[in-house]
Amino acid sequence: MSILLDETTRVLIQGTTGAEARRLIPTMLGYGTNIVAGMSPGKGGETVSGIPVYSTVADALKEHEVDLSVLFIPARFARDAAVEAIEAGVPRVNIIAEGVPHHDAAQILARARAAGTLIIGPNSQGMLSPGKAKVGGTGGEVPDLMFTPGPVGVVSRSGGMGAEISLALTRAGIGQSTYIAIGGDLLIGAEFVDILKLFEKDPDTKSVVMFGEPGTAREERAAEFIASGGFTKPLVAMIPGEFMETQETPAAQSHTGSLIERGVGAPSGKKRLLREAGVRVAEKFSEIVPLVRESLAG
Amino acid sequence: MSRLLENDSLGLLSSHGVPTPAYEVAASPAEAAAAAKKLGGRAVIKALVPTGKRGKAGAVAFVSSPEEARSEAARILALTVRHFPVNRLLVMEALDIRREFFLSITFDPTRKCPLVLFSATGGVDIEEIVSERPDQLFELPVDILRGLDADACARFAGSAGLEGDIARQCGRAVHAAYRMFCECDCRTLEINPLAELTNGKIIAAAGVAVLDEQALFRHPELAEKLSEEQGNGWRPLTDLEREVREIDAIDPHVSMIRFSELGGDIGFMISGGGYGLCSFEQILREGGKPATTFDITPGPFEEKMYRTVKAVYAKSGLRGLVLSANVSNFARVDRRVAGIVRALKELDIDYDAFPVILRYDGPGAEEARTLAAEIPGLELYGAETTLEDVCRIIVERAYGQKTPDKEAP
Repeated sequence: MSILLDETTRVLIQGTTGAEARRLIPTMLGYGTNIVAGMSPGKGGETVSGIPVYSTVADALKEHEVDLSVLFIPARFARDAAVEAIEAGVPRVNIIAEGVPHHDAAQILARARAAGTLIIGPNSQGMLSPGKAKVGGTGGEVPDLMFTPGPVGVVSRSGGMGAEISLALTRAGIGQSTYIAIGGDLLIGAEFVDILKLFEKDPDTKSVVMFGEPGTAREERAAEFIASGGFTKPLVAMIPGEFMETQETPAAQSHTGSLIERGVGAPSGKKRLLREAGVRVAEKFSEIVPLVRESLAG
Repeated sequence: MSRLLENDSLGLLSSHGVPTPAYEVAASPAEAAAAAKKLGGRAVIKALVPTGKRGKAGAVAFVSSPEEARSEAARILALTVRHFPVNRLLVMEALDIRREFFLSITFDPTRKCPLVLFSATGGVDIEEIVSERPDQLFELPVDILRGLDADACARFAGSAGLEGDIARQCGRAVHAAYRMFCECDCRTLEINPLAELTNGKIIAAAGVAVLDEQALFRHPELAEKLSEEQGNGWRPLTDLEREVREIDAIDPHVSMIRFSELGGDIGFMISGGGYGLCSFEQILREGGKPATTFDITPGPFEEKMYRTVKAVYAKSGLRGLVLSANVSNFARVDRRVAGIVRALKELDIDYDAFPVILRYDGPGAEEARTLAAEIPGLELYGAETTLEDVCRIIVERAYGQKTPDKEAP
């Protein structure tokens, strides 16, 4: 099994007729992704790589059942596109764009919460279940070089590092169940806790690698969730950036910044809480594969 | 960074209905004296710099006459506040303050919504106050779809312990500030102090708005206010940073560069947010000292890479250069390497004395290897070499097997 995405997941692509989607759709189809429809305003009736294109999400939903919409939409238009998918009733929406305005992201997430929609992103590089399906740019044109089916879930705030970790696992002969790039922005939909809940229920996921970053309470909340028994599988985590804690940074200059963080956000604290929750914390990249191996053996 | 200077922040607060003091901007002691005279003689003079903690840096003065304004202005104009030389001053109406409150609006990444923070005990030591008395900080998460109505704001001020007319006025300030937070696409809007005057009026005695860079396309009039004076967020730009900004400006919408100059000796051009952070940390761990930070978003890289490599190489005191990125999904790495190779060919480098280490893989890797092979001594690694290996290699080569920390006997 896998989480959120497999070969049966019915995918809608928004922004189908744009350059990015036209380039990526063939690689997604080639990997097995079940793309059932496309959507671009005013382009209803066209086809892209054999995929029928509709002018609105609602039009697409009249003809097709959709589990997941993937937005290849520029950042400044992402809010309207996401809201259209949410209001049409699409259950999961993956927002790829980097640079979505914060107020727009907050509006998307508020609407999604009200509608019960799961948002992945913004600023997500996509998702990939090895050997089954992929959405977004993840894996490029030759995903098999980077991903191979297996027992390890990978979840990352950084698309680049999620790919490097998967690559290192694949080179070490360790496959992945699903890779999720949750997105690098301040305001995102699915967080580590949401993804860990899904990996917990997935019988084929035996261990998970989580790549965090400085800032926000995402890793702290994951540690709390694990400590409270919500996630019982082995977890390997890496959070770089502890060296920044002793450096002069812009964030340190605002009263609001220090008030909102109040003890959370620092890599040292995240790593300490995760260790206390029994997580294997990798200080260096090269420690990840041995720790995963150990977690699978244990 | 997109922190507005205080005069611009106060101007926006005022136009959105938050009461603010009268103020003038002065660039000389004479202008400061004239401004103080216009404001009635008594005034507050503050350094107009894009950083906080000015009071603690001696860059705020209370004056009681134009003459005093002149001498204090001369003193403050000679200061450098947290790296920023003081070129202009804010000369503000003197206020008779009875109490200081703290009001701020920002985004809460956990609740994924705007969050209003208020404390009835505000002022410059707000962090200390709140760390000792966390119950003094009141939070109001906002449903961004419904916004904040005046009643909710008044109730919030009341819940923070304020009463009567003061609560009503603070509620109005919260309401108006939230409107500005939304209409100006702020990331943070801080009013500290929100002052209660002895005449019973509530006024924003100081304010700072941090705008959302990702939303500046909606606000060309605000983007204009963000001059180069802002620096890189914590200090003014260096010459090299200015040069790289000019390189980035050849096409500001594709392959966008983030760059800063540091005090080390390894030219660090490893891009990718998480990947760059991991690499930077690993070089430090190996005992190396990065001299730059660098990030470039995918796109047509060649010209920007070419120019940036030349600019970084010209920095004095470098021992080597390391360039890398996480394995690329689609962006062709040979375009990136072509820019690097073109720059290196124009530079007379002895690669034994000045190592240049590259690690790139993904579409176009084969072509990239052919390009790199044109330069004997240039090392290009691929996906089989991890980011950690690359960091070890550059440190070993740059410091001749001996890292600076281990050099001393």
